[in-house]
Amino acid sequence: MSRPSQLRDIWARYRRNKLAMVGLVVVAILVVTAIVGDYLTPYDAFEQNLLNATAPPSAEHWLGTDVLGRDLFSELVYGVRLAMIVAVSTVALSLVLGVSLGALAGYRGRATDTVLMRATDIFLAFPVLVGAIVVVRAAGQGIWPVIVALALFSWPVSARLMRGQVLALREADYVEAARSIGAGSRRIVVRHILPNAIAPVLVYAFTSIGVVVVGLASLSYLGIGVPPNVPEWGRLISQSVPFLRVPGKTHLWLYPAIAICVTTLGFALVADGLRDSLDPKLRGEG
Amino acid sequence: MTRFVARRIAQAVLVLLVATLAIFLATFALGDPFASTGEKVVPPEVQAIDRAKFGLDKPLPVQYLTYLGNLVHLDFGVDFDQRRQVSSMLAETLPNTIRLALVAIALDVLIGVIAGVIAAVKRYSFTDVLVTVSSTLAIGVPTFVIGLVLVGYVSGLWIFPVVPRSFTVQVPWWHEVLLPAFTLAIIDAAFIARLMRGSMLEVLRSDYIRTARSKGLPERVVIGKHAMRNSMIPVVTYVGISLGVLMGGAIITETIFQYNGIGYLLARAIQANNAPVIMAVVVVSVVVFVLLSLLVDILYAYLDPRIRLD
Repeated sequence: MSRPSQLRDIWARYRRNKLAMVGLVVVAILVVTAIVGDYLTPYDAFEQNLLNATAPPSAEHWLGTDVLGRDLFSELVYGVRLAMIVAVSTVALSLVLGVSLGALAGYRGRATDTVLMRATDIFLAFPVLVGAIVVVRAAGQGIWPVIVALALFSWPVSARLMRGQVLALREADYVEAARSIGAGSRRIVVRHILPNAIAPVLVYAFTSIGVVVVGLASLSYLGIGVPPNVPEWGRLISQSVPFLRVPGKTHLWLYPAIAICVTTLGFALVADGLRDSLDPKLRGEG
Repeated sequence: MTRFVARRIAQAVLVLLVATLAIFLATFALGDPFASTGEKVVPPEVQAIDRAKFGLDKPLPVQYLTYLGNLVHLDFGVDFDQRRQVSSMLAETLPNTIRLALVAIALDVLIGVIAGVIAAVKRYSFTDVLVTVSSTLAIGVPTFVIGLVLVGYVSGLWIFPVVPRSFTVQVPWWHEVLLPAFTLAIIDAAFIARLMRGSMLEVLRSDYIRTARSKGLPERVVIGKHAMRNSMIPVVTYVGISLGVLMGGAIITETIFQYNGIGYLLARAIQANNAPVIMAVVVVSVVVFVLLSLLVDILYAYLDPRIRLD
């Protein structure tokens, strides 16, 4: 999968999938927004103005203002950056942990395998949100505790996927060939097994970005994610709960909700497209 | 079979031991519940008495072992806030959570399986596209958004009670359970529909389905009996996991609907730093989760006799 011709094949298959291309465009827009967001926003996302709270959308405030009188559009743009930072760091952290420990368990086998797999059992026994809540409460509010908490309960899945792949490939002919010409364990795992085993793990990683975005919003919704003054999507929605039945205040929760949905959907479509293009056999199923 | 179950139970006990230790350390890292700051400080002697009353003056390992010892008798201790037996709080809320979980699962299996089977059998038809698109959309929507919309625009109508429910209103449990169950079911149903469609398509291509058709069985029997049973396997796994999560308390949904289950109990305990309640709810949800995954593995073998448990 590392050779350019194969990448070109994958890209050619990916490009034929219209929904996946839509997802890719959404993801690209989100990433660009996260990077250059500061130049796009007319207001400071943290600046409160209680005299102009919950104002409906207007020429000055394109999406209106929130409960604290902050410009909703600027807040949503800031929220993109926050969501992207948390999602990418969480997924990267859990990928590194999952892939290395999974490969270790699968290749070494025996005691290493047993210990690592029991460890995944323990982490998988916690419902993710419950586990994350306990960790965040113990570690204190902030972006990093959230990232660590979400990663802690998502690496076991990629570890198991990776282990399964490595177990299957360990006995493959080309691995045996590499071993017979005297390649060392590290070279075999890194150069021969990893490139062939990584595809399903990567697809899972993309799928889980949406889960992380929703997880971050859920934690903030419960009031235990990022600090209270940070305009995070979930927190914006929880602030608007008292206004739920007030006519003309729909923008308070609707726009943050749309932001979450668009983000998760974008990444889900890319993940679907990747799965189909990485493994043409699975095309169009599920 | 017995050997498999015994090994899994031994594993489950190990998981529980490590998990309770982790939760214990984490909840006690929350800090001293009787510490007092501000203008009117509780006298240190009184704080010390409170601590001694709850056994917090003893070393952590002693506290943990005592907790485990009590746990064997289903004694979860007394909570910091109302000084009530935590076990009686669980007894009050757990049945509500179980009810909610079962209704939600019933709804999502019903919707998910039917939608998935129809989509697979009529592949590429309008219904198929509709199911695929709407299930992709539903997966992108977070639960709390669905819950909020239902609380804001549906609760109070027809038989659905207003949230939060007033103490002057009496409603039967199934009126109260419907909206939260539906909230939980929508996303799960979308997942199940996708799973079901995928595995059904695969099964429909297999040789034994061709055999069943060629010996003249009516399509109803081919789909309903032969194909369904084998395509249910991924669905069973998913339902098992999802039931485990739901029984552990759907924190967000229960909180939004202020539904008196263990999820809402946990959310309130977290706000109040009420460690004994947090401990108890997490222990219950881990136990339920582990037991259900054991059950799923056994069901597996029943659905697909090729899978050997030993």
